[in-house]
Amino acid sequence: MERSEVESRVNKVVAKVLKIEESDVSKDANFIFDLGADSMQSMELVAGFEEEFNIEMDEDKALNVQTVSDAVDFIVGSFK
Amino acid sequence: MSLRKLNVKEIEILKKHECFADNWETISVKDGFNPENIRNVTFAGNVLLGKFTDKITFPDGLEKHSGIYNSYLQDCEIGDNCYINNVANLVRYNLEERVVIENCATVVTEGTTCFGNGIEIDVLNEGGGRSLPIFDLLSAQIAYMLVIFRHDQKLIKQLTRIIEAYVNTKKATRGSIGKGSKILNTGYIKNVFLGKSAFVQNAVRLEEGTLASTAAAPVHIGDGVIAKEFIIQSGSKVDGSALIDRCFIGQGVKIGKQYSAENSAFFANSEGFHGEACSIFAGPYTVTHHKSTLLIAGMFSFFNAGSGSNQSNHMYKLGPLHQGILERGSKTGSFSYMLWPSRIGVYSVVTGKHYSNFDTSEFPFSYITEEEGKSHLTPAMNLFTVGTRRDTGKWPSRDRRKDQVKYDLIHFDLFNPYTVGKILDGYNLLKSLVEKTPKKQEYVQHKGIRIKRLMLKTCSKYYDMAICIYIGNELVKRLNGAKNNLKSLIDLQEKLFPSDIKSIDKWIDLSGMLISENDLKRLIDQIGNNEIQTVDELTKHLKFYYDLYEERNWQWCCRLIENRMEIKLEELTADKLIQLVKDWETSTIKFNNMILKDASKEFDQTSRIGYGIDGNNEAVDADFEAVRKSYESNSFVIDLQKETEVISKISKELIEYLKDLT
Repeated sequence: MERSEVESRVNKVVAKVLKIEESDVSKDANFIFDLGADSMQSMELVAGFEEEFNIEMDEDKALNVQTVSDAVDFIVGSFK
Repeated sequence: MSLRKLNVKEIEILKKHECFADNWETISVKDGFNPENIRNVTFAGNVLLGKFTDKITFPDGLEKHSGIYNSYLQDCEIGDNCYINNVANLVRYNLEERVVIENCATVVTEGTTCFGNGIEIDVLNEGGGRSLPIFDLLSAQIAYMLVIFRHDQKLIKQLTRIIEAYVNTKKATRGSIGKGSKILNTGYIKNVFLGKSAFVQNAVRLEEGTLASTAAAPVHIGDGVIAKEFIIQSGSKVDGSALIDRCFIGQGVKIGKQYSAENSAFFANSEGFHGEACSIFAGPYTVTHHKSTLLIAGMFSFFNAGSGSNQSNHMYKLGPLHQGILERGSKTGSFSYMLWPSRIGVYSVVTGKHYSNFDTSEFPFSYITEEEGKSHLTPAMNLFTVGTRRDTGKWPSRDRRKDQVKYDLIHFDLFNPYTVGKILDGYNLLKSLVEKTPKKQEYVQHKGIRIKRLMLKTCSKYYDMAICIYIGNELVKRLNGAKNNLKSLIDLQEKLFPSDIKSIDKWIDLSGMLISENDLKRLIDQIGNNEIQTVDELTKHLKFYYDLYEERNWQWCCRLIENRMEIKLEELTADKLIQLVKDWETSTIKFNNMILKDASKEFDQTSRIGYGIDGNNEAVDADFEAVRKSYESNSFVIDLQKETEVISKISKELIEYLKDLT
């Protein structure tokens, strides 16, 4: 899967889970500090990425996913 | 004890000391009595006086000579070296030695009384039907059976009979004040029994009650307290103008700061400050500290109420019949509201306002939140929070009960057959919901509450990890004990695993004490069949089942291992055991890391808001670290990191041990 496609689908998941506009989701945005995710929404994001990309995100590794680009990197990496 | 009448010389001295008596003949004294320290006292009825030879030390360090001064005594026995001063009416009381009563209006026994024993209070359901007879040996477990198992009429009848027999032994026409008790500057005391070393100071009014104080664990009643129809067990403190009406207060409880409670029972180590309790069953470690917090018609244990927590049972038509259950370890956030009837699963957190009735008991360790006016459930979220970890650690260390006898029987383990049984239920339910819920559906509705479909799978994964941790905890504990002695797999299987594994039955939380449903049925049968005749026997039977916990827990765990691995215990190979240890290590470390992540939030940018307010970003960081210190130096963080290291070490050692088994 192309990185640009991953980015686009990640943005959609983020916007849906956090109930924000896709246009507000920037590459470097931190889920908590910039996009206002609380602890439950952080878990929902992980669940959303898992479902969207049909992947399993290890709990430990998921803890390091702090920004939109972290998520994209993680997902792209999981396809390699 | 040798008694005699006053002699003529003694009567003369007493008269000289401005003392009066209706009839000097009805006053008896012990050998060694000296009238020197009896002044300005009026005697009436039968009075017995001890010796007054010693000085008494007061709480402020003052020393005063024992004796009776400026008081009215009627039908009393005064033990040796008591100090009574400025007591307007001391009537029908027996005082043991070294009792102090000073500056009190009335201390009186009227008619026949049981001193609060046997009074029935309407806990949990304001409308009645769950009346709890209180008495000075009451435990949370006996109370639970009386309040919850009302459908078992045979049990209730028998328990009531046992308690009535005990209460009858308390019936008296004279009160008693135990050795070393002190009552200072208190207004009115009527029909109150005081055990040893009780301390009452500046109370307003105490009526129909027992202070089951002991020398090892005195009861303290302080400023402004008004209490009526109550039992207060040893080591408890009620002060700060608390208003207590028809309440049971167990061991090591603190009530104060203007708390007001009626028809409520507070068991071991509970705390109530500022707020209000109405018809609650506050199991062990129920804590409410803040103003505007009302706990009403609910059952709690290991509970912490946020400020302004509120519940209501007012949406009724036939009276206030609704009740709420918050299972052990639950919490409510600030200004949370719940509409009764509702039931909250173990170790769950409730935030926001909830106007629907729900039952989340199948989903333990959940977050219950409000979003746009709807109640949402996120299962398993509270498994890996700092709060859960800290609470679990602090409860055993905060047991204030100093008495040798501890009435409430408490099991503290976070993961145990009761909580893990519920986790299993939640896991199975989530798996089935995952399978049957189409992806286009955003929510599933379950017993009155919404769960986000997206979270079903994730939450089931967390439950699964918790099950791994429980199995590992129990297995590792026993492998650690076995590794130095048992060197072959056959020996290990024989010695480690029980031969008589019970079925994987349900467990019950008997308000702090965990018991399998089968054992509880046995106990209930023993009570119902009249095998248990007295409160003492009942308490001993409960202790017997309490002590069975470790054995039964391991049996339950073994059956869980069999079910989970679809294998008989005797077929467990070293490799399978190694796998269980590895799963335990992996899951525990993952959980610890998640808890550490949760802890790190308290050091993030958001947490720094309000620090270094007059400076730049450097000042913010410097101020924050000066006050809160760093994440790395936080003792909770350090302890958890160490625990992770220890887990890895233990896991490595056990894997080596299991590999070497012959």
